Amino acid sequence: MKPGIIDYIILATYFIYVLAIGWLVKRRVKTGVEFLTSGHSIPVWVTSLAFIATNLGAQEVIGMVASGAKYGMLTCNFYWLGAVPGMIILGVFMMPFYYGSRARSAPEYLKLRFDEKTRGFNAITFAVMTIFSSGISMYALGLLFHVVLGWRLTNSILLSAAIVLIYTYLGGLTSAIYNEVLQFFLIVLGFAPLSVLSVIKAGGWAGVTARTTAWMARQPAFAHNPDVMTHTWKYMGHTSSNMMGVEWFGMLFGLGWVLGCSYWCCNFLVVQRAMAAQSMAASRLTPLIASIPKMVMPVVVIIPGFAAIALHQMNVPGLLVPKGNTYDYNLVLTNLMAQFYPSGLLGVGLTALFASFMSGMAGNVTAFNTVFTYDIYQSYIRKHASDAHYFKVGRITTVVGVLLSIGAAYWAAQSNNIMDFLQLVFGFVNAPLFATFLLGMFWKRTTGHGAFIGLVVGEIVATLTLGLSRAEGTGGWFGVVHVFPSAMAQNFWIAILAFASCFIFTVLVSLVTAPKPVAELENLVYGYTKMPVERDVPWYKRPGPLAVIVGIACILFNLWFW
Amino acid sequence: MDDLRVPIGSFFVILGVMLLIAYFFVTASAPLASPRVNLWCGLAMLVFGAVMLWLARRSKG
Repeated sequence: MKPGIIDYIILATYFIYVLAIGWLVKRRVKTGVEFLTSGHSIPVWVTSLAFIATNLGAQEVIGMVASGAKYGMLTCNFYWLGAVPGMIILGVFMMPFYYGSRARSAPEYLKLRFDEKTRGFNAITFAVMTIFSSGISMYALGLLFHVVLGWRLTNSILLSAAIVLIYTYLGGLTSAIYNEVLQFFLIVLGFAPLSVLSVIKAGGWAGVTARTTAWMARQPAFAHNPDVMTHTWKYMGHTSSNMMGVEWFGMLFGLGWVLGCSYWCCNFLVVQRAMAAQSMAASRLTPLIASIPKMVMPVVVIIPGFAAIALHQMNVPGLLVPKGNTYDYNLVLTNLMAQFYPSGLLGVGLTALFASFMSGMAGNVTAFNTVFTYDIYQSYIRKHASDAHYFKVGRITTVVGVLLSIGAAYWAAQSNNIMDFLQLVFGFVNAPLFATFLLGMFWKRTTGHGAFIGLVVGEIVATLTLGLSRAEGTGGWFGVVHVFPSAMAQNFWIAILAFASCFIFTVLVSLVTAPKPVAELENLVYGYTKMPVERDVPWYKRPGPLAVIVGIACILFNLWFW
Repeated sequence: MDDLRVPIGSFFVILGVMLLIAYFFVTASAPLASPRVNLWCGLAMLVFGAVMLWLARRSKG
């Protein structure tokens, strides 16, 4: 791939715009609260698009195209099962408590609902997770540009980190959110042509399905069900009948219920975007509106990978590069760009890759800022300082967060089992959290001790499950008790076990410890919170009807590609 | 900043113009696609950017 001058001009134009937005937002951000939480000032269409853009990081885009090539339409389960239902649950059931409690962060909700130790535990694990995930995605981007463009790793890492640092330092959360909207449009408009061009080249949708079926018929394990790549649910009956090595139960509960809901309802990275909305109603609409583009996002990020397999079956060279006894699927996206994008559009595609990286990293940096400043610094280091003081701390934290991420990127470059580690960190921090928030919001009897012990047990169980099982070379450091058919199955089952153990221990310990007085549960728990009633607004601006429509549409997508 | 649609709209108008320049003056091609994709994508981005700017203008006036 050889970008021309015009491609570099496009990239430079984007960088100028990103920095300019940061600079323009800076004039509006005058207090620490505005810097760290946006002061509930952002219109709902902006928070909605930022809500999904912050998840559309480089790893998500590269990874989804890779999975599209590896698993075909099965990958859509990550959207129609692993995302949309979680987003509906957040908007309809959970947002009233997040927004109504006036908490500034998800850990702060835990402090208000439970106690200091639960907040502290969650804040620290979350802070560590955000640093590692932004560092690792920085490394992934640098590695990709090194392989396809020959850029030095250090150049890509420092350039992208410096730009994210400048615009988040200038305008804080508002700047990150405004840029995420620009990044969202750039990602969609930059990658959509790839989807259209590759499907047309492969003979339209009929050509893609016929050729991917012919491709699977050549694999001995799937010769009896070669249409496995074109269905989402049909071959979920048994782990051996689909390439993911997952059966319907693991899929439904592991991905849909535990991982999907933990991520979309409890990960402060995304929840922070909804909390920044102008009003309670806007904050509830944020994930619901966001779920509409999310539902059709597979067209942009999964279909190109799927079509790449059809093109490979047509003997188009250079798309699937062999790696060991399989293929390097992470290169499919850039290989497609090299085949389909002439100089000009190539610049847009590369810029979209940078944009996706920045939206993911800025999301991590701004969430880290808020959690560190309010949940760690203000809680344990200096309690009663002025807003101006926390503003300053927030800015310094931005710099420190970016520097730590760069450190994590170089650490990832040194280490040869990053994925193991990332899987552990995500399973560890995310999976049990959904049980804690669910019980906290809907069962008034849940106590602080219960929540804390439940979380600790859930995380120990996650670690033990990974340590005692093995799949595709991951895990099993304590010995191998069980072998999973795939790393994905292992991941889903870690989540299920972590969630279940956290749920059970939270309930058991809550029953034997003293509950919080009812007076302190106001606006935190179902039954003691005045649920918002929307009158005088048209039905399509109310969360209930919108959630029903989005839910039905999502079910129809599942049935369509069953 | 008053309206986010202004920077987004102007960004995509500029991007569209650049792709049209690439189509008319650079005429590079990719192995599997003709240089015409620059023309079509350039026009699409130009239209998207213009609509964004028009929406921003309309809500202001």
